[in-house]
Amino acid sequence: MTKTVELPDVVSVALPVALEGERSVEISVLVPVNERPEPLAELYEEFSAPLRAAGWSYEFVFVAEPWCGELTVPLRDLAARGEPVRVLHAGQTAGEALLLKAALAHCRGSIIVTLPAYRRVEAEALPALIAKVRSGVDLAVARRWPRRDSWINRLQNRALHWLIQRVAHGKIHDVACGVRAMRREVLEEIPLYGDLSRFFPLIALREGYRVEEFETPQHPADVRARIYGPGIYLRRLIDVLNLFFLLRFTEKPLRFFGAVGSSLSLAGLAILVVVVIQRLGGGEALADRPLFLLGVLMFMLGVQAVALGLIGEIIVHLHAPRRRPYRIAWWGEGAERAGAPEPAWAGRGDARRAEG
Amino acid sequence: MVEPPRLSVVVPLYNEEENVGLLVQAVREALAANGPWELLLVDDGSTDGTARIASGLAEQDPRIRVIRLARNYGQTPAMQAGFDHARGAVVVTMDGDLQNDPRDIPTLVAKLDEGFDLVAGYRVRRQDRWLTRTLPSRIANWLIRSITGVSIRDNGCSLKAYRIELVRKLHLYSDMHRFIPAVAAATAGARITEVPVRHHPRRFGRSKYGLGRIARVLADLLTIKMIRSFRERPLVMFAAGAAGAVSLGLVFVIGTVAALLRQSQPMTVVFPATALLWIGLACYLLMLGLIAETALHEQRRSDAVELVGLREEAW
Repeated sequence: MTKTVELPDVVSVALPVALEGERSVEISVLVPVNERPEPLAELYEEFSAPLRAAGWSYEFVFVAEPWCGELTVPLRDLAARGEPVRVLHAGQTAGEALLLKAALAHCRGSIIVTLPAYRRVEAEALPALIAKVRSGVDLAVARRWPRRDSWINRLQNRALHWLIQRVAHGKIHDVACGVRAMRREVLEEIPLYGDLSRFFPLIALREGYRVEEFETPQHPADVRARIYGPGIYLRRLIDVLNLFFLLRFTEKPLRFFGAVGSSLSLAGLAILVVVVIQRLGGGEALADRPLFLLGVLMFMLGVQAVALGLIGEIIVHLHAPRRRPYRIAWWGEGAERAGAPEPAWAGRGDARRAEG
Repeated sequence: MVEPPRLSVVVPLYNEEENVGLLVQAVREALAANGPWELLLVDDGSTDGTARIASGLAEQDPRIRVIRLARNYGQTPAMQAGFDHARGAVVVTMDGDLQNDPRDIPTLVAKLDEGFDLVAGYRVRRQDRWLTRTLPSRIANWLIRSITGVSIRDNGCSLKAYRIELVRKLHLYSDMHRFIPAVAAATAGARITEVPVRHHPRRFGRSKYGLGRIARVLADLLTIKMIRSFRERPLVMFAAGAAGAVSLGLVFVIGTVAALLRQSQPMTVVFPATALLWIGLACYLLMLGLIAETALHEQRRSDAVELVGLREEAW
């Protein structure tokens, strides 16, 4: 009952024949299958039930990394029974962000729901999140609350979010919960790659989208003490550093590198001045002062930081014509770009004209 | 379709609900005898009633258009939004706080018609606090003048007139609105002049500027300087830095050699190490310059080269 279709960019799809040419669906639930996946057929049954009950048109799009290919076999039976299930197979190990982007390119819904392949929250959260998007929120994110976790998980969670809130302006309390519903445009517009999918809501906030959290009980299957290797914690720290730079300095790298570089250089210079003055006052020869070396080293590090900042500015400047500098929430009556030529970045993601 | 206006007035607004109505009224009066115009109000994510009032005004007057940005982006992106949507052959920007006077617009436009691409206003009797606003602005303008080489008395004055051809070549980001004349001269070869304009004290609302911007302005200035002087040859800039580092390194090489000749025992490590550090820095800067050239080269491969104001002599 299924056939495999080759699509552009490394993805092949098992399209249920029944779905071909069918009317468009409203809701696409994207399930990246790459991390500790649970049985997918059961996952589908559990999370599609409330959507079916609500009578909405929906599809589930599973997108699997190569090593998860076997896990999707039970989904074929579901598709054969006429369930709206589609399976994409990525040709490479890609990570959640790229899996989501690939799935987005091949799904049809105007509302996108992202759902991890493991149960984070109760299935009832889905209709609630979707209802929020329908009522005008751009991105609705589930927050597992109250937590039923062990204290160790809660502590980790607290620490991570404490860090994140130092860095980002918006408040998101559960970045690790990947259960999110959004207008299609949001996922299309926001650059998502590497490990950024975790911080998706924070980037959306920065882009001026309306983001709301929805508190929903943690799924019993999610309640379990998790302690990771030191590598994972280091990765999270690096993620937060990346987020910090991304949110504040992507358009003005020299402000960051300049601040770091000039403080280093000035400190180095101060050391040099002190050492030289002491020498002139009859102190030890410069050649016998290791402190002199420290001063030179700090001054140089500062110069290097500033030089790196300048490289950043060159890259930003060169890309400026192609980067969208703002996003429009709405145009007033008759204020579309009538008569003005389209900029190079145009046609992506601006809201349509004001309604009412 | 209505005939496109000749003049587009762009006004970025951020929390100026008391000023919008007065501003629109003042623009209407100032431009009554001025041919077709449009007023682009760019609401930069205001949290007060600015957007609502502005769109109310726009509904009554087809010459007024409102663009609401999704969040508070800052003055530069808001101005760019206005630029992107302007339809006139001439674009005039001004502040939304009524400190600029729309009655100066015809003067600016007349000056533009004398054959300039950009006419900047400079405020003759500034009506701001001297210590926190006027003095820093004086120093900043002196710095901008001497670093960029574009001699504009008052870069901070928003009241400026642009030819649309120039506007289409500007791609502003970050906080570049402070340096538009310098950027315009550097990237688009603009012909620039300035005229005196009126300045009024702020009547409503709060100033959105503070002193915290000095360090940021300095960093931005360095960027502008780089764009102006080394846009097409970044390696030269880095090589200049490398030359400086090498000369310092040579001083310490000489010091080391001198110490060797005197055969001082034991040989100290400080001078040779310092020499190596400086030479290392020079190598590092040169390599960074090559990276910059790579980035430039990759970009220029896809860009059509466009020379500003290029025209063939008519025989």
